[in-house]
This record gives sequence, structure tokens and C-alpha cells, in this order.
Amino acid sequence: MRGRGILSKLANLVIFILLEIACLHLVTNSAALQRTWIARGSHAFMGTVWGASESVRNYFSLSAENKKLVEENYALQQQLAKAQQRLRQARIDTTKTDSHPGYTLTPAEVVKISRNKQHNYLILNRGFEDGIQEKSGIVTPKGVVGIIDAVSEHHAFALSLQNHDISISARIGDEGGSGILVWDGIHSNIALLKEIPLQYHYQPGDTVFTSGHSLLFPPDIPLGVAGESRVINGATNEITVTLFQDFSSVRYVTVVHNDSFDEIEAF
Amino acid sequence: MKRGEFWIAYVLLLVAQLLLSNYFHVTPYIFLTILPVMVLCIPIRVGTVGAMLIAALTGLTVDYLSEGVLGLNALALVPVAFARNGIIGLVFGRELFARKEDFSVERCGFGKVAMALFLSTLLFLVIYIWADGAGTRPLWFNGLRLAASLGASFVVSLLTLGVLAPDPRK
Repeated sequence: MRGRGILSKLANLVIFILLEIACLHLVTNSAALQRTWIARGSHAFMGTVWGASESVRNYFSLSAENKKLVEENYALQQQLAKAQQRLRQARIDTTKTDSHPGYTLTPAEVVKISRNKQHNYLILNRGFEDGIQEKSGIVTPKGVVGIIDAVSEHHAFALSLQNHDISISARIGDEGGSGILVWDGIHSNIALLKEIPLQYHYQPGDTVFTSGHSLLFPPDIPLGVAGESRVINGATNEITVTLFQDFSSVRYVTVVHNDSFDEIEAF
Repeated sequence: MKRGEFWIAYVLLLVAQLLLSNYFHVTPYIFLTILPVMVLCIPIRVGTVGAMLIAALTGLTVDYLSEGVLGLNALALVPVAFARNGIIGLVFGRELFARKEDFSVERCGFGKVAMALFLSTLLFLVIYIWADGAGTRPLWFNGLRLAASLGASFVVSLLTLGVLAPDPRK
């Protein structure tokens, strides 16, 4: 009996819905106003239903969406790292030339320089982010400027050639003897080439070059011209050198680093 | 009331409704209808499905033969037929269905009959006014129209009760 009652109520409901749909159909076909109203209502209803179903679907797909985003994020980070690596490599590669094989050359700009002390220094606008390393030489087309002493991320601190603490290996003439070039401590453009053996003869006006015996500078960089000399302790010559480099106007320099520095230093 | 007499009275009241729909446009706030009371008074033995079909046919007849939107009266009247058993059971109790007796003022009391009449008319008018406005009329207008139409239709429907649900002892 109860089952028949439920079936009867269900049949009533179905017939009621069918009759109402038929009536709505008649209403929409006979009046434009009602047609628009019902269409608007049905669109709103469908929009709500679709919106709700879409929200539910989105909610259950959040986990997969998150996983996809994580993977995309990881891939982008990998691409970024590779691009940064390529950029750094490109910066270094563009500074490499064949003029000094075995050396890496990096252009730099002097942001600060001191010239009126006994221990002068300069600061460059390149740091280890740009491939600059300690114990690198600083040169210009007119000669040697200094040696990198410390490096930060974007800057480098260097000892100027006008500093008593540094000396460089130099050679007089093409085949002449090698010695140590140091600043005279008095004149801005005068240096002293020391420890030249007496058997090596030279003429005033000969060019002084880097010898290449140092790990810091490539050979044959012209430094200045030889001037007067004097014998020290009866064993060596000390030659006055007028430097080509004008420290008062130095602005753009090149940092040179021996690619084999660490390997040779290990000996 | 004999079965044939009821249906004759039903048809006559249908004609009366047509007259009301076509000629009694006093104000836009008042919509006079006796269709809910006609459906409410359909004999219980007819059943819900039969009542819904009769209601649909009645509503469509009025829609066809009077001014207005085709299907609107049927749209509002079918729910009254669908809810008729519920309203009768709620107001008069389930004994009427067990005894398959129709209600009357004398048997059930004026208050209960008026309540059943009020609920069925209210249901009809809510749907009719809502669909007739089609979302273009403000709520206050629909509310005012519902209240005025409910009052007027309720009074007219009470008058028809003597025709459709007469005293069984007479």
C-alpha cells in the first residue's frame, strides 16, 4: 500500500511538471515579455548550475593544478639558471681575445683612485659577479696600472703601481735582462727597474716591457722608456724608467687574469 | 450535490470567470478570479491527476477566450490542483479522503473552508502575478496587486461556494 502511495505521488509530480512545462511553453510562445523573462531566468539558472559544477570540478582538480604549477615553476627556474649561466659565460667570452693567449681579459672602469699617497689604490666597477678574481693585473694600452687585491660582488680593490707594496717583473728591450719594476715614490710617472745584471747593456730610450715571468701580467706590455742608471752594490744596475701611463687620466682599464694561475701557484 | 449538477455549475462558473476576465477591469491592482475555488471544489474522488488535467483545461479555456497571455491561467491553476489534496488534508484533516466526502461550510465550518479558499487563492495569485509581471514590475506593485486581488477574489470566491459546495443536507 505504501509503495503504491509513493508511486502515485511520483506520478502526480511527473504529470504536474509536464503540465507546467507545457504551460510555460505556451506562455513563452504567446508573449515576448514572458519569453524574455523566462529565457533570462533559465540562463541565470543554467549559469548558476554550470558555475557551481565548474567550482566543484575546479576544487577537485586543485591538487593536479598545484602539481602542474610546481612542475612549471621548476622548469622556469631551470631555464632561468641556464640563461644566467649563459649570460655570465657570454660576458666572459666577449672579453677573451687572442692578444694575450692564456689570459682572460675583462674591461672595467676606475670608479676611485688615489695618487697622492705612498700607498695608492684604485677601485674598479667590476667584481666576482663579472669574473674578476684576486691576483689579477690591471693594464691599459699605455702600460700597467696595478694589481687586484680584493674583490667584492660588484667591485674590485686594487693596489696601484704607485704603491710601495707592489712590484712587477719587467724586461728592458726585446732581448734585455729582466728585473723588478717599482715606483720611485716621488714622481707620478717615474719607476725604477732594479736588479738588472751588469752584463746586460742597454741604451737610454729603450722600451721597457713586462717580462712575462710574473703570473700576473702577460709578456711584452710596454711600460715606459729607460733613462739613467746607476750601479747598486757593484752587482746590478738600477735604471730609471719613465712610464707611459699617466695615472692622473686613467679611467678605462683592462683586468687580465692568468687562466693557469691556480695551477702554477700550486707548485 | 449530484455529479452532473456540479459539472454544470462548474461550466457556468467558468463562463462567469470569462466575463470577469473580459469585462471587469476596474483597476490594474485588482485581478478577479474564481478559478482557485473552482479547482478546490472538484470532488475528491476525481484525484490529483484528474484535478490537474481539469485545471489545465480550465485555465487554457480562460486563456483562449479572454484577453491576456496564453497559458498564464493554466500555469497558475495547475499548482493549485497539485496542492489541493495537501491543502484539504492540512485544513480539514485526512478523514475526508478516507470517507471520500467533499467539504462544505456546513460540515467543516466556515473558518476552515475560508482558510482553504484563502490558501488556494493565494497560491494561484502569487504565481499569476509573478509570471504576469515577468520581472518588469516593482515588488511594491506586485505586493499591492496581490493583496488587493486576494481580498477581492476571496470575497467573490466565498459567494461561489454556495454553488459549488452546497449544504449536503439540503
